[in-house]
Amino acid sequence: MEAITSVMPEIQEEPQAPTLINGSQALMRALVAEGVETIFGYPGGAIMPVYDALYDFQDQINHILVRHEQGAAHAAEGYARVTGRAGVCLVTSGPGATNLVTGIADALIDSTPMVCIVGQVGKKLLGTDAFQEADVMGVTMPITKWNYQITSADEVPDVLAKAFYIAQSGRPGPVLIDITKSAQLELMTRPFAYERCQNIISYRPRLVPKRDQVEAAARLINEAKRPYALVGHGVQIAKAEDELRLFVEKTGIPVATTLLGQSTIPTNHPLYVGWLGMHGNYGPNVLTDEADVIIAIGMRFDDRVTGDASKYIRQAKVIHIEIDPSEIDKIIRADAPVVGDAKEVLKALLPLVHPNDHTVWRNEFRKYDAIEHESITVPELTSTEGKIRMAEVIDLVSKKTKGEAILVTDVGQHQMMASRYYQFRRPNSLVTSGGMGTMGFALPAAFGAKVGAPDREVVAIIGDGCFQMTLQELGTIVQNKQPVKAIILNNNFLGMVRQWQQLFHERRYSFVELQNPDFITIAKGFGMAGHTCDQRDNLSASLDQMLAHDGPYLLEVIVEKEENVFPMVPAGASVSQIRLK
Amino acid sequence: MTTYTICIFTENTIGLLNRITIIFTRRRINIESLTVSETERKGVSRFTIVIKHDSREAVEKLVRQIRKIVEVMAVFGYLNDEIVFNEIALFKVSTPLGGKALDVETINTRYKAWVVYWGLDYVVIEKTGAETEIFDFFSYLRQQHEILEFVRSGRVAVGKTEKGLVEYLPEAEWAYYL
Repeated sequence: MEAITSVMPEIQEEPQAPTLINGSQALMRALVAEGVETIFGYPGGAIMPVYDALYDFQDQINHILVRHEQGAAHAAEGYARVTGRAGVCLVTSGPGATNLVTGIADALIDSTPMVCIVGQVGKKLLGTDAFQEADVMGVTMPITKWNYQITSADEVPDVLAKAFYIAQSGRPGPVLIDITKSAQLELMTRPFAYERCQNIISYRPRLVPKRDQVEAAARLINEAKRPYALVGHGVQIAKAEDELRLFVEKTGIPVATTLLGQSTIPTNHPLYVGWLGMHGNYGPNVLTDEADVIIAIGMRFDDRVTGDASKYIRQAKVIHIEIDPSEIDKIIRADAPVVGDAKEVLKALLPLVHPNDHTVWRNEFRKYDAIEHESITVPELTSTEGKIRMAEVIDLVSKKTKGEAILVTDVGQHQMMASRYYQFRRPNSLVTSGGMGTMGFALPAAFGAKVGAPDREVVAIIGDGCFQMTLQELGTIVQNKQPVKAIILNNNFLGMVRQWQQLFHERRYSFVELQNPDFITIAKGFGMAGHTCDQRDNLSASLDQMLAHDGPYLLEVIVEKEENVFPMVPAGASVSQIRLK
Repeated sequence: MTTYTICIFTENTIGLLNRITIIFTRRRINIESLTVSETERKGVSRFTIVIKHDSREAVEKLVRQIRKIVEVMAVFGYLNDEIVFNEIALFKVSTPLGGKALDVETINTRYKAWVVYWGLDYVVIEKTGAETEIFDFFSYLRQQHEILEFVRSGRVAVGKTEKGLVEYLPEAEWAYYL
């Protein structure tokens, strides 16, 4: 045996160069630094390096694999609506990105913060019609608050910081980051460092209002004889529910909400007079045209709220409280604009407004309430003949959940019925697609809402038409064991379109009847429990069974086929022309 | 129809032109001319866009919508009497051998235009001025010679107000509400 003669070399410690990471790893670190806990996504070729990096971050970031990218977008919206934080989507290039488009547009119009991270072909292939290349920047430019294409790994930290800041500040909205595959793979040339963005020179949302604007608004409010507050989604975005309640309670001013503004103030609050718009309540619509001062807070006078804008509140002085200055005077000219965050504006207004007795004025709303109650609500809730009516279902859901659930609705008749009959007790309890009116929204959004608010009951109200647009997300719900309760109100029709055809197109039912599948069998195929209820006598027990079930559940309720939603402001009419039948 | 000049100060980023023009397209407003260049501030671009519109209110709304774009620092909408503005035009005029001589004196003194290039059988004349001046000159030239090519730039304009962008940029009120 040969003797060991060599001496072990001494280990010399050399100063180590900082470890450089690639763009994908930087992206993961940036998301963690932003406090992102959940991502809704779908992998594919051009985002594979990011998914590879995600593999190492699974204990910090919960990735949820959806079944279609549109589902990712709506789930992110649902998540964002209940948490107030940006929902994050991660998808591949080309079709992955274009499948997000509906959700992005929906998020923009409903001011929902969202950060979409989209893979793109390598930098050298840009513009060559490479496989799964689409001009996503061009496509999403009109429907994002901001978008940006990352072509080098070094850009990742700063761009991500900017993206989250823009999505979540001011009037929130969707942001899209298109990241080339080459940027995902290449190494950064400097050590990763992340600093949250606080300021962009060209983008400075005003939070605190100008003093003179607040004083002018307060003067109008104090002099008003028939004032009326119209509350939109902006109040909940600003988390200003308490300030709003203090403001109306101090001033005695009746308050109505827009569709998205619902649940800002409890439905049973004595100053709450109902909701506005095409299918809103009778009193708040008619009396909008009789108020002398309108205080619009965090709302944008959507045409579904105003009806014919040229005939809308011509008699009233308008105070418009809004964080987005471009909304002021866009539809309705404001006599006293106040630019600022609703919470800050209401805080500034509170000490300046006087207590007032508006009992007589408020009682006028009650008169209209009584008419609506008698002619619409009572017959809808107490019918004993025919099929179950949508109103009965919502009313029972409301009672059984004590108004405490998060209600997620799709778009159509059931959406309006849900808004009419659910008695909201807590803020941030209605998640619906308002501005875009996106069918297929509810199922994935309910899932996202449940992920964002696991402690709250989440009930989705879905039409049979809407359900079939994104029903594949049942798979996502089951795989992630999220106990979402989904109710299909099935009338075998595209109900709202049919209603319009009945009222305005002489019952020419052009392509609105659906031949539906067996929804419960489909749910069971996905591994979700459920059953169908088509008898009024079984409705209460069916709902109990659904709510008591430990896990996700699909309840199909067969409802009256040709039911209409009233009141209704016909398109193009003034709000005071609202119809009761 | 009134002519409005919209001056937009932006960060110099890729794709911004598209984002701005989409706003005009969505509202079906035709852009008469568009000029973009870097300003006295590095990294800050200035768009000068000319439109014609019959509603001042609609133009004000347009200005606010442009202001919403994240990279836009400021937007000003001007009427003609609120700005100093000009355009530049180049005329390529045929001057064949034995043809009519160019009346350089009239071109210089009456039209304040200059020959900037002599080709073998043509010249290029440069004329700056307002749209009407350029078209006056166009009419004159067409009567005298054959115009082979004519090109006119977009409008460039500066406001008549004292303060420029640099003083306004850091904290000013217009950043919040125009």
